Amino acid sequence: MSLLGRDRFEDSARIALGDGVDAALVLAFHSAGGLTRFASSQIHQNTWREAISIQIMAVVDGNRVGVASGSSLEPDAVKATLQRAKAIAEVTPPNSDFPGLASPGIYPEATLWDDATAATTPAERADGVARALEEFPNSIEAAGYIETTANEVFIAGSTGLRAYSTSTQAGCSVMAIAENSSGFAESVERKLSNLDVPALAERAVRKAELGRDPKPVEPGAYTVILEPAATSTLLQFLAFLGFGGKALLEGRSFMTGKIGEKIMDDRVTIIDDPTAPDALGLPFDFEGTPSSRVVLIERGVAKDVVWDRATAKKAGRESTGHGLPPPNTMGPLPLNLRMEPGDRSLEQLVASTERGLLVTRFHYSNVVSEKETVLTGMTRDGTFAIEDGKIAHGVKNLRFTQNAVEALSNVEGVGDTTETSTELFFGGSRAPALKVRDFKFSSATTH
Amino acid sequence: MVDDEVRALTERALEIARSAGASYADARYLAEESESIDVENGRVEGVSRGSDAGIGVRVQVDGAWGFAGTALMDKKEIERVANLAVEIARSSRPLLRSPVVLADEQPVETFWETAVEEDPFEVSLDEKIDLLLKASAELQSVQGLTIAQTSMDFWRRHSFLATSEGARIEQIVTQSGGGIVALAIGDREVQQRSFPNSFRGHFACKGYEHIRSLGLADNAARIAEEAVALHQAPECPSGRTTIVLDPTQLCLQVHESVGHPLELDRVLGMEAAYAGTSFVKPGDRGSLRYGSDQITITCDSTLPGALGSYGYDDEGVPARREVLIENGIFKRFLSSRETAPVIGEPRSNGTMRADSWGVIPLIRMPNINLEPGTSSLDEMIGTTDDGIYMTTNISWSIDDKRTNFQFGTEIAWEIKNGKLGRMLRNPNYAGKTVEFWSSCDALGGKDEWKVYGTPNCGKGQPAQVARVAHGTSPGRFRDVQVGVRG
Repeated sequence: MSLLGRDRFEDSARIALGDGVDAALVLAFHSAGGLTRFASSQIHQNTWREAISIQIMAVVDGNRVGVASGSSLEPDAVKATLQRAKAIAEVTPPNSDFPGLASPGIYPEATLWDDATAATTPAERADGVARALEEFPNSIEAAGYIETTANEVFIAGSTGLRAYSTSTQAGCSVMAIAENSSGFAESVERKLSNLDVPALAERAVRKAELGRDPKPVEPGAYTVILEPAATSTLLQFLAFLGFGGKALLEGRSFMTGKIGEKIMDDRVTIIDDPTAPDALGLPFDFEGTPSSRVVLIERGVAKDVVWDRATAKKAGRESTGHGLPPPNTMGPLPLNLRMEPGDRSLEQLVASTERGLLVTRFHYSNVVSEKETVLTGMTRDGTFAIEDGKIAHGVKNLRFTQNAVEALSNVEGVGDTTETSTELFFGGSRAPALKVRDFKFSSATTH
Repeated sequence: MVDDEVRALTERALEIARSAGASYADARYLAEESESIDVENGRVEGVSRGSDAGIGVRVQVDGAWGFAGTALMDKKEIERVANLAVEIARSSRPLLRSPVVLADEQPVETFWETAVEEDPFEVSLDEKIDLLLKASAELQSVQGLTIAQTSMDFWRRHSFLATSEGARIEQIVTQSGGGIVALAIGDREVQQRSFPNSFRGHFACKGYEHIRSLGLADNAARIAEEAVALHQAPECPSGRTTIVLDPTQLCLQVHESVGHPLELDRVLGMEAAYAGTSFVKPGDRGSLRYGSDQITITCDSTLPGALGSYGYDDEGVPARREVLIENGIFKRFLSSRETAPVIGEPRSNGTMRADSWGVIPLIRMPNINLEPGTSSLDEMIGTTDDGIYMTTNISWSIDDKRTNFQFGTEIAWEIKNGKLGRMLRNPNYAGKTVEFWSSCDALGGKDEWKVYGTPNCGKGQPAQVARVAHGTSPGRFRDVQVGVRG
């Protein structure tokens, strides 16, 4: 992708911050990327797109706000988008909770761009798929994706605020599908060169082979070893349910009234850190506030949630740089969650388990009871029985129905490495493996 | 009508693709306008209008697919994108086991648009905001309610599809929806009631006349009272019992356990690594007993006003009505021009849709309907000694082959000796797809049959959101697991 460059966005901002409004915020994106999907051990979908979007929030009379968006940076189009935003603001009732725009900020230094990833060709992505397929025996089919994207984000405010960032991302998942078992591995990085595609494929194949001829197990409470992808599911849902300032203020969050209290095991520390070297975040949020590291759970104690400008104003706090694009009715969210690693290898966690289950990942999880943090979902792509400290055999998939906070209170061990995983229809988070006692499975499948 | 410039760009894309070696090409222009309004506790939280436009070029070279899309709509960029699509297809070819063969389709030149009585984009924002504020005030009038949410959403998609086979299809699809949500937040639980349905309300391929028909303000106080009352209601008991499901729940049951498993791309493994596959196999056509004799399911993209209706899919295949399951026996899948020939079907049944110009079309449910029966809600409840009546989905989950599901609803009432009894909180039920549909012994009649739009159906990578719909009447299911606890 060829970068448009900061100056091109500045040209649009000069128009978008034009006459007739008290204040305005411009949020512009330019992204391009290729996604190569494979299934049945062949490339079946191979796509590329280059998109531009510009969003203008116009403010009139101090606190009447309208938002309009478009897909062109051409001057006439930007003018039209501004006029639409202004027209909306003029008929929208005043919002006494409007926090105003962010002031110019100083953003953390970060190198988020990789030329080679941005310039990845279709042939290079196909080559990655070919290297994955080389790890597969004839009896096992491959599915997955390799994606490379490049992005520019620009924010300008009538307060003088200017923020600009370029970033790249590369992701790959590999699923191995055997006759009656499957395996899965995934990785997301800033640079394509950091993806070890053959290693992902080898891991997925090994799981599929290890899980052949799975045996049924009865639903019930088990000690489980959750691999990082399964741990990430719990984190992602906790983020959505209660690590944001709006949910806390409304009383919907499991954190409401619990700040300062111990609500999870000592071994659990959960942080949102968009600027960590291995995170995939930006130096600023979508309101232009500098991103910051927020400790949410520290050694089991509820410490804080993330804030945007509106919720911070209500709570008498400062924004932590976790605002979403306007108009945002969800409040702030931690989009770069990470759980601190522990001191046990995955092998040690398994070895310390007399009887239990190892879960590779969960599928299509959802909320059963939001404040109680009860979730349900299925295991998939590698669920194994552990007997006498060893993986004994594959088991047929199970449905869990489990309180997530309770699970993180029942932690008996934390893995010493972390991995980034994505959740179906969510973002990503970085997590270690966990050993959890009394994890509840409510039903089973026939596969 | 789509302007000459757009037509010229799509024609140029086809020329370039063919001259670069594509055996098939289509260029699809899509411009979408959107408007969204959110009110919370009497305060306008957000009003936004969006517009997005671009062109996507899909090509086949030597049986391999390539696709490239751009929002930069000038001749030079379109030429670059068309060439890139061909380059991408060529990169796929060495790793292609089975070259794609497209089912025949007669190309047409035509125009189709949604029937709209009142253009939602012409109705003033003042009027829309007033309606939402009024509904919010009604919700807030109920003591004990914590949060009142009201919202409206509108979309207009203007598309033009040009194919190398000669199809030139222009469509304008207008969609409108709105809803209200009452939240009562307690120390331990959050109780929610939505009207007319969850997922931001009730959506249709109609204009603002749809919003006027919803009765948002008229139903607000009742909904809010139910949300507050739920905190005092006993919890849904655990065990096996008879359940009666309202269309606001049964529509999602159809969606998850019939619609998705019958998508032929899932069946053929094309979504295996992400959303999953299906327990249904091509050889099951005509033989798999999917449900009881009561169960007849149709796919109908022609249903007037339903959210998933259109004139032609994004491969130029005309909308149609087909029977997927007839009296409990599975008959056919949802297919595309690529997948239909793989299982020996001569034609696609026209379900390929893309959510923007920048992604390829996928097999998406249009309107998947559980055809009505001959009973009624009153009769089903009246002839049930012991059971639970559940309404309005709040939670859903199903495994990667679409067999093991668990659904929660916002509210339920016990059924005792043929009458509705106490309100129950935190209702849910779980089961296996075929077992569940086989346990259906009664469905409401035509007069109780309602179509609800589901505006948030996710599928594919990059994730695409489709707006689909399901028609159902209330249904009764025997011996179902209820009250699953964590």
